[in-house]
Amino acid sequence: MRHVSRALAAICIGLLITPLAACGSDSGGSGESGAIKIGVPVPLTGDSASAGQDILAAARVAADEVNAAGGVNGRKIEIIEADDACSAQQGAQAAQKLLNSGAVAIAGGYCSGAAVPALPIYGRRSVPFVLDASTNPVLTDTGDGKVFRTCGRDDKQGLFAAKFMTDQLKAKRVAVLHDNTTYAKGLAEAAANSIKQAGAAEVVYLDALQPGQSDYTPVLTKIASTTPDVAYYTGYFAEAGLLLKQRAQLGLKFPLVGGDATTDATVLKTAGTAADGYIATTAPLPKDLPTASSFVTSYKSKTGADPGPFSVYEYDAVKVLAKAIGDAKSTDGAEVTKALHAIKDFAGVTGKISFDQKGDREGLLYITVTVKNGEFTGYKKLDDAGTQWVDVKPA
Amino acid sequence: MSDFFQYLVNGLTIGAFLSLIALGYSMVYGVVRLINFAHGDIFMIGAFAGFTVLTTIGVTGGMAIPAVLAAVVVGSLATGVVGAGIARVVYTPLLKARQLSLFIAAIGVSLALSEGVKLLTGARFKSYPDALDGGQIMAGSVRVSYAQLVLVVFSVVLMAVLWLFVTRTVTGTAMRALAMDRDAARLQGINVERLILMTFLIGSVLAGAAGVMYGLYYTQISFGMGFLIGLRAFTAAVLGGIGNLPGTMAAGVLIGLIQSFAAGYISSRWTDVIIFGVLIAVLAFRPSGLFGERVVERA
Amino acid sequence: MLRDLSTRYGGWLLMILITAATGLFLDDYALTVAASTLIYAILGLGINVVVGYAGLLDLGFAAFYAIGAYVSGLLILKLQWDFWLTLPAAIAAAAVAGVVIGYPTLRLRSDYLAIVTLGFGEIIRITVINLEVTGGPNGLTGIPPVSIGGNEIVTPQDFFYLVLVFFVVVLAVTGLLARTRLAFAWRAIKDDDRAAEAIGVPTRRAKLLAYVIGAAVGAVSGPLSGAQLGTVDPSNFTFLTSLFVLLVVIIGGMGSRPGVMVGAVIVVALPEALRSAGDYRGLAFALLLIFIVIIRPQGLWPARRRPLRVPAETTPSEDVEQMRAGRLDVDELSRSFGGVTAVRDFHLTLDAGEVVSVIGPNGAGKTTAFNCVTGVIEPSRGTITLNGNSLRGLAPHRVAAAGLTRTFQNIRLFDDMTVAENVLVGRFAHNRTMFRPPSHADLDTVRRALDFVGLADAADRGASELSYGDRRRLEIARALAGEPRVILLDEPAAGANPTEKHELMRLIGRIRALGIAVALIEHDVSLVMSVSDRVIVLEYGQTIAVGEPAEIQRDPRVIAAYLGMPEDPEPDLVAEVVR
Repeated sequence: MRHVSRALAAICIGLLITPLAACGSDSGGSGESGAIKIGVPVPLTGDSASAGQDILAAARVAADEVNAAGGVNGRKIEIIEADDACSAQQGAQAAQKLLNSGAVAIAGGYCSGAAVPALPIYGRRSVPFVLDASTNPVLTDTGDGKVFRTCGRDDKQGLFAAKFMTDQLKAKRVAVLHDNTTYAKGLAEAAANSIKQAGAAEVVYLDALQPGQSDYTPVLTKIASTTPDVAYYTGYFAEAGLLLKQRAQLGLKFPLVGGDATTDATVLKTAGTAADGYIATTAPLPKDLPTASSFVTSYKSKTGADPGPFSVYEYDAVKVLAKAIGDAKSTDGAEVTKALHAIKDFAGVTGKISFDQKGDREGLLYITVTVKNGEFTGYKKLDDAGTQWVDVKPA
Repeated sequence: MSDFFQYLVNGLTIGAFLSLIALGYSMVYGVVRLINFAHGDIFMIGAFAGFTVLTTIGVTGGMAIPAVLAAVVVGSLATGVVGAGIARVVYTPLLKARQLSLFIAAIGVSLALSEGVKLLTGARFKSYPDALDGGQIMAGSVRVSYAQLVLVVFSVVLMAVLWLFVTRTVTGTAMRALAMDRDAARLQGINVERLILMTFLIGSVLAGAAGVMYGLYYTQISFGMGFLIGLRAFTAAVLGGIGNLPGTMAAGVLIGLIQSFAAGYISSRWTDVIIFGVLIAVLAFRPSGLFGERVVERA
Repeated sequence: MLRDLSTRYGGWLLMILITAATGLFLDDYALTVAASTLIYAILGLGINVVVGYAGLLDLGFAAFYAIGAYVSGLLILKLQWDFWLTLPAAIAAAAVAGVVIGYPTLRLRSDYLAIVTLGFGEIIRITVINLEVTGGPNGLTGIPPVSIGGNEIVTPQDFFYLVLVFFVVVLAVTGLLARTRLAFAWRAIKDDDRAAEAIGVPTRRAKLLAYVIGAAVGAVSGPLSGAQLGTVDPSNFTFLTSLFVLLVVIIGGMGSRPGVMVGAVIVVALPEALRSAGDYRGLAFALLLIFIVIIRPQGLWPARRRPLRVPAETTPSEDVEQMRAGRLDVDELSRSFGGVTAVRDFHLTLDAGEVVSVIGPNGAGKTTAFNCVTGVIEPSRGTITLNGNSLRGLAPHRVAAAGLTRTFQNIRLFDDMTVAENVLVGRFAHNRTMFRPPSHADLDTVRRALDFVGLADAADRGASELSYGDRRRLEIARALAGEPRVILLDEPAAGANPTEKHELMRLIGRIRALGIAVALIEHDVSLVMSVSDRVIVLEYGQTIAVGEPAEIQRDPRVIAAYLGMPEDPEPDLVAEVVR
C-alpha cells in the first residue's frame, strides 16, 4: 500500500513540474525564421517590482519602434520577459527560462545580485547581455567581453562624486554612508577610495546604516561628531528622505549629497522642505536629456506614466542590440557580440554609445541634480573635456 | 558628553514605539501562549489607517490638530477591530491545536496583511502629511523636539492606562486569571473566547496607536514597515519576560537605547547582532527573560 | 526477503526512478527549478530532524545553509580546495554551529526557541555581510562548477542528477536515523519533554543531537547552491529563507520525509508556476498557508510510521530483576518554596520487594517528596541514596538510569506514539544507546512489560485511544520497561472503579513479586492498607505517623488528620506549582 502511495506522490510531483517545462519551452524554436527574441530579465515581484516594470515597458517601446521601421534583417523583434525577483536563485532560473524561450540576446537587469549567477549561464551559450541598470563593476570585469552596459559603473560615479565634493563643495572632511547593500557599498567605497587617492580631502567616516529602521538620528549624531564638511549617502531613496528630515530636526548643518538611487520623488515627499538644496550624483535623467524627449512622449502615450530612471538606458540597450543584430546579419551570439564591440557612436537617447574592451560604455558622463522648488533639477556637470564644471541645461 | 545625551533622547524615542508594540506581543502571549507573529503588520495597518484618515480630512489650516486626533483615535480603533477580527477568524479555531499550528497561522497572517496592503495601496512608500512639525527644546546642545515629547508622553499615558486596566478592572483581572490557567478561568465562569478577543483588541489598539504616531513622526510608511520593528518589539517582549507587562515596557526602552548607543559608539551595521546577542546571553542565564518570573511549564 | 524489501523500499525506489526519468524530459529551465527544489528538499530534511522529529521550533535554519555555503565557497576560493573536500568541512562547521545554538537553548521554554534561533540566523547573516573575508554584501563570486573525474558538471541536466544523488543519500541517512532509538527519544521529547526526562531519556543530549544532526544535514545544501549558482549571495539566507524552509516541513507534514518532498515542490516550484499570477502570488501563498494550517494542520502528507515489531513470543525471562534489587534510603529530606515548607524531614526506607505507601491530605507534600527523590526538583536538605549511591542532585534521567522510575499523578503518556512505542521509550532508563534501532532485548522487554500489565493486544494502538484505566497501566508498563530497582507510583488508582482498583492491587503485588521495591502515593485507604508493608502519613509537610497498616489505622492523629475526613476536593496547590 505504502509504495503505491509514494508512487502517486512521485506522479503528483511530476505533474507539478510538467507545467513548468511546458511554459518554459512553449516557444522553443529560436531558429532563423520568426521573430528575433530579446530576453528582458527584471524583478517583476518583490520590492523592486516597480523598477522592473518601468524597464520592461521601455524595452517594449523600443521593440515597437524597431518593428514599425521594418524590423531587423526583415524579422520582427519580440521582447520576452522573465522575473528575476532581485535574487541570485531566481536570477539563474530566469536566465534558463529566457534561453529556453529562444532568446538570442539579453537586454535588461536591475539588481546586480540577480545578474551575477546569470552571466555564466548566458556566457556558456555565448548570448550577449546588455545591462541597463546594474552598475556593479564586477559584472563587466568578469564578463569575458560578452557583457555590455548602457549605464555607468559604480566606480566611475564614485570618482565623479569625489571630484564634485572636493572641487565644487570644497570639502576637506567627507563622511560616506551606505546601507550595506552590494550597490551602495560599492559606490561608497569607490567614492572613499577616490577621495583618498586624490588626497584633497579626508574621509572621516565610512560606515553603513541599517535600512528599514526609520530612525537614523543616532547615525546622524555620530556623523555630526566627526564634523564633516559634507556627507555622501550612497543608499536608496527611502532612507535618503528620512536622513534629510532628521538631519533638519537635529539642526545639523553639513550638506548631504546622495547617489543615483536617491533621485526618487519619495525623497521630496518624506523630507518636505528639508529636501531643499539636496544634491544627488546621477547619470542623466530622461528629462535632463534633450535627445530623450520623443522617447518620453511615446513612453507616456503607451503606458500612461512617466518613465523610470533606467527606462532610457533599457530603451538604448534594446536599440543598440537591434543595431548589432542588423550589422551582424545574424542572431548568432558570437557574431552579435563582435558587432556590439564594433559599434561606434551609436546615437542613443542617452547620448553616443560605444563600448570599451570590457563592454563598459565609453564616455558616459555623470551629472548632479539638486532639489529646487520641490523637484529635482539639473545642477552641475563636467564639460566634455572633464575639467571644467558647467551648469546642466534643462532639456 | 552632549552626544551621549542626544543618543539617550533618540534611544528613548525609539524605545517608546518598541514598548507600545511589544506590549501587544506580551499580552497575547500571556493569554493565548501565541507569539503573534503578525503583530508587526498590525502596527503597519495602524499606520495606513491613520494615513487614510489624515489624507481624507487634510491637515491644512486649522484642521491640523483635529485631523491628527481623529487619525490617532480612528486609526487605532480600526486597527483594534482588524486585530480582533483576525483573531476571531484565524486564531480561535486553532486554540485547541498545537502551538506550532497557531504560530504558523500567524506567519501566514503576517504575509497576508503586508501583501494585501501592497496590493491595495501599491508598493511605493507613502508619505504622511507633515502635521507634527514644531519647535524644540534645547538643553545645552541636546535637542528634544516637541514631537518627541508628545510621543513619549502619549506612550507613557497609554501604558499607564493599560496598567490600570489590567490591575484595577474586573475584565483586566479576568485576563490575568486567564493568563494563569485557562481551564480554571473557564470554571470560574469567565467567557474565555470573548476575553481572548478582547486581549487581541487591546493589543491591536496599542499597536495601531503606535502605527499612527510612527507615521506622524517619521512621515514615511510602507507595507513592509512592520517587519523590522515587529521583530525588535518581539525581541523586547521576550527579553523583558513575555507576559510580564512592566518588564516588557522596560525591555522595549532598553532595546531602543541599545539601538541608539550601538549606532553611536559601535556601528549601526552591528545593531541587530548586538540586540540578538544580548537576548541570547540573557536567556542563557535567565531562561524567563530579565523580569520574567520563573514559570514552570505545565503539563 | 526480497519481497519484504520491495514492499518496504519499493515506493521510494519508484519515486526516485520516476524523478530521475523526469530529468530526461525536462528542459533546462525546468531542470534548474527542479534542482533548486531538491536543494530545498535537502534543507527540509535537515529542519525536519529539528522541528519534525524533536519538535524544536527553529526560525533561523538558513544560518546552517549559509554556513555550509560560505565554508565551502571560501575553502574553494581562498585555499583552492576541491568541492568534494569542502563538503565534510562545511558539514562539520554547521555541526559545531548546531552545538553553539543548541547549547544555550536547552533550558529554554519551547516557544522561546523561536526568537533565539531567529536571532542566531540574523547574527550569522549580518556577520557575513559585515565581514570583508566573506565578500560583504557581494558575497562570494566565481565559484567553479563541481567536477567529477575531470568532467565539470555545468549543464542543468547534469547538475540536476548530481543534486538528485545528494538528495537520495541524505534521504537514506535520515531514513536510517528515523529508525534509531534516538528518533523515539525525539518523538517522546516532542510530546512531553519533562515526562521523557523523568522516565530516563537524556533529553538535553537528545535535543543537542537534533540541532547538530539537523544542522549537518541542512549544511549539505549550501555547497550545492554555491556550485549551482557560481556565487554565494547573502541575500539568499534571510529570515524569509528560514521561514520558507520551515514551511517546507509544515506544509508537507512534520516528521514526514515524503511530506518534505511535497513541501519543497509547493514552496519552490509552485510559486514558479504561479509566476503568471504576478502581484497576487504573495497573497495567494499566504492565504494557502493559513488555509492549510486550519484545514489540515498535520500537513499534506502526514507522517505515517511503521508499527514497532514487537515479538509475538517472548524469550523466557531470566531473573535479571533479582540482580537489580535495590534499597532506597531517604533521610531528613526537606523542601521549601519561598517561606512555605512543603516537606520537612521526610524519611523513607524501601527494600527490594517491599511496598511503602505515602498518604496524606492534598497539599501534604507527597508529590513534592516524590519530585525531590526523582530529581525533578532540588531538595533544600536531606540525603537520597539507592544502594548506598547518592541520587541527590542528579538529573531526572540519571535517577531513572540508576534504577528508580516513576508514574505521574496526572498521567503523562506520549499521546502521539503507540502503546508499544511508549513502553519502548521507558527502555532508556536501562540503556541509553541512541544510534541504533531498538534491539531485540528492547523489543522483548516491551513485549514482556505489555504482557505484564495486560496490554499486549493494544500494542499498536495510539496511546491516546486507550481508556483511562489502560492509560494508567501503560504508564506502569513504561516505568517497568526500564528494569527499575524501585518504582514510584503516584496515585495509580485515582479515578479507577472498584474492579480496576482490584486489578491494580494484584498488579502491585506482582511487581513486588519481581523483587522491585514499590513506593506508592495513594488516596484510596483500602487499597493502601491491603498492599502496603508500611505506611507513611504526611500532613502539612510533616510526617505524623509511620508504621504497618494496622498500626496506622489505629493512630488517633492519623484518624483526626486524614482517615476520618472526607476527601478534600481542593486542588493540591503545592503539587500544582511543582508540575
